[in-house]
Amino acid sequence: MGIEESSGTGSQERTIPGWGSVEFGRRLGLKAVAGTALVGGMAALAEASASAAALKSGTIKIGYVTPSTGSLADFAGPDKFVLSLVRSASQFAKGITIGKTKYKIEVTVKNSQSDPSIASTVTTELIQQTGVDLIVTSSAPETTIPVSVVCEGAGVPCLSTVCPWEAWWGGFTGNSIGAAGNAVGAPPEYCTMFFFGVPEFVECFLPMWNRVLKTTSANQVYAGMFPNDSDGNAFRAAWPPTLSAINSAEGGTPWTFVDGGAYTDLATDYTAMIELFKAGSGGKSCDFFINCPLPPDFNTFWKQASQQDWNPKLATVAKVMLFPTDVYALGDLSNNVATDCWFSPNAPYKSSLTGMTASTFAANYQKVTGQQWVQSMGSTYSLFEVIVEAFKKVKDPHDRKAVANALKEVSYDGICGPLNFSAKTNPAKGVGIIKPVGIQWKPGSTELVGHKKFAWSPWVVDNTLNKHIPLQATLEPTNA
Amino acid sequence: MIWLNVIVSGVLLGGFYALFACGLSLMFGVMKIINLAHGDMAVVAGYTAVFLVPKFHLPEVWSFLVVVPIFALLGYVVQRTLLQKSIDRDPFTTLLVTFGLSVVIENLLLEIYTANAQSINIGSLIAKSWQVNNTIYVSYLSLTVLIVSVVVLAALQLFLSKTSTGRQIRAVSDDREAAQLCGTNYRHIFGVASSLAFATVALAGIAFGMYTSLSPTAGGVNLLFAFETVVIGGIGSLWGTLIGGILLGIAQQFGAHFNEQYTVLAGNVLFLLVLAIRPQGLFGKKVVMS
Repeated sequence: MGIEESSGTGSQERTIPGWGSVEFGRRLGLKAVAGTALVGGMAALAEASASAAALKSGTIKIGYVTPSTGSLADFAGPDKFVLSLVRSASQFAKGITIGKTKYKIEVTVKNSQSDPSIASTVTTELIQQTGVDLIVTSSAPETTIPVSVVCEGAGVPCLSTVCPWEAWWGGFTGNSIGAAGNAVGAPPEYCTMFFFGVPEFVECFLPMWNRVLKTTSANQVYAGMFPNDSDGNAFRAAWPPTLSAINSAEGGTPWTFVDGGAYTDLATDYTAMIELFKAGSGGKSCDFFINCPLPPDFNTFWKQASQQDWNPKLATVAKVMLFPTDVYALGDLSNNVATDCWFSPNAPYKSSLTGMTASTFAANYQKVTGQQWVQSMGSTYSLFEVIVEAFKKVKDPHDRKAVANALKEVSYDGICGPLNFSAKTNPAKGVGIIKPVGIQWKPGSTELVGHKKFAWSPWVVDNTLNKHIPLQATLEPTNA
Repeated sequence: MIWLNVIVSGVLLGGFYALFACGLSLMFGVMKIINLAHGDMAVVAGYTAVFLVPKFHLPEVWSFLVVVPIFALLGYVVQRTLLQKSIDRDPFTTLLVTFGLSVVIENLLLEIYTANAQSINIGSLIAKSWQVNNTIYVSYLSLTVLIVSVVVLAALQLFLSKTSTGRQIRAVSDDREAAQLCGTNYRHIFGVASSLAFATVALAGIAFGMYTSLSPTAGGVNLLFAFETVVIGGIGSLWGTLIGGILLGIAQQFGAHFNEQYTVLAGNVLFLLVLAIRPQGLFGKKVVMS
């Protein structure tokens, strides 16, 4: 098994119907924006940025677009700390030598306010006014797609992360996701990204389901709580077929899916949905749970599920419970809720900039900020590792085309593990895949990173997808 | 039995809507203020319970003991300073002022407390419910909120009909000039009404913070349901607000029973039907427009 099969010819069992209808980019209106408003200004933008670049040959200017405020602000929590580390690394503090010239590296940060249109505005500012050579960006389609689309139009190299690759890919004009979950269309010229997609979500969660299925007398019926928004509809279309494809490729007995219905975001009551999950299918109630809701909706739902006595054997959630704030807001009901994790302090990985280990990185974060580590710190840090790797490969860091091509060839080991942008198993050239592990939220312990006990901590409980990362606790059913 | 569950969960949901809407109903009924910051004020009450109450070493379940008096006082002060000034101008000014207040509150909360989710933690009580039969579970929290909402509305009704201040509030609401001629200080009376409204908003905000998690922008969604509740029940009728909330809750659960995606739609259809057939609301007085 593996994602490489999805584009192969003999992979009928991996066909994912429904994907064809999913077009993430369209909801943001980006194609329309790119098609009308931007095109006229783009040529001028590219010209302006090219002339700006010529003026500052001794310095490489990097722009970083991030949602510092607004609904996505949780993702940007570690930005300040990560940037201070990056800026103090010798490559940034002292500069890097390319050819025979020594270049200083400057990083300019812009806030997208969690708003797609502000994200494109600040990207344009970075290109026109700051005259950046390269832009990096992180956190959700609402940030990465508009930034990438503007960069592609202006011909500025761009690197994104923390966004399902399917969503990012679909954001470019002419690109879409094929029926088998494969990338259709040409890779963007200037834009690259690393993260993972729906198949990795399935490959991360399904082994946990199978393990709980073996140890408990659970029904092989799962509940899906997918809202009537673009992420929810995409998950509803992609999750069941991807799951059955991967499950049958592994020879597993089939799973039954119960759809909770396309509820409206920020609903107040979920009694009807919970009744559906309790009724289940074929007289068997749902014992497994997958979702992709807004954080307050999971909070409401999970409290009501417990009141209504629906206690699934295992809850694996996506899009929520990634960060401690959701967990503390939910309190004791967070116990043994599982989710995905793309950066873990117990991973044997090191910074490619300074050699700092993942555990030192997280421990220092906790010491300096006084707050619990969060997984987006790793992906943000890797953005800056990757661009240094790319600059090492070029003769002139102001040559945009060369930098963009170099980004697509980067292959290195960093704080998020081995990352190869040109691997044959990638969905497309320039789309790097990192492998998440399964975590469960359990009461914290002084054994964990930094020897500081927090009320709740994520524990690695399943490493099927990435054996480098050691297990920290046994997988337990969410409800016994 | 399934239909009974639809009704039970609808009534429970309705109790929350009624509690949320009662302050809105009071402010509109007495002062003709459409308070667009109503939802945001509830969120502020929730944040007060999360951040201020632990300083009094009080369990968060009892947070209303602290938050409600603070909000009652705040209601009087806000009315006498900010809102009265805008009432003195014209009705559109109050609309703009409360809208501005809403924007200011959301951004202040974001600035001070970030976008992090906050919830009022009531421990294991949150998961407890009373099992009626195989399908019907009544959560202690929802039941408490329904009871609180009935008690609050009954107490308000008694206060308005039996006390001197209550009668003055009704007098000012019916005919401000005539009440003034009889010696009523309508500014003070408005302050008292606003104080009552804020106290109920505080209760609603605390209930909201226990039901779900709060964020700085969470107030807007429930404001819509609160408006629907008031309009369905009829403006100026407190019992109407309770019935309006319950009917809205049942309509939504009825829609949800067919498919989750019809939840909000079913509520809106009821709202439109009431507007079309009985524009003054089920229990509202028919007002002749002058």
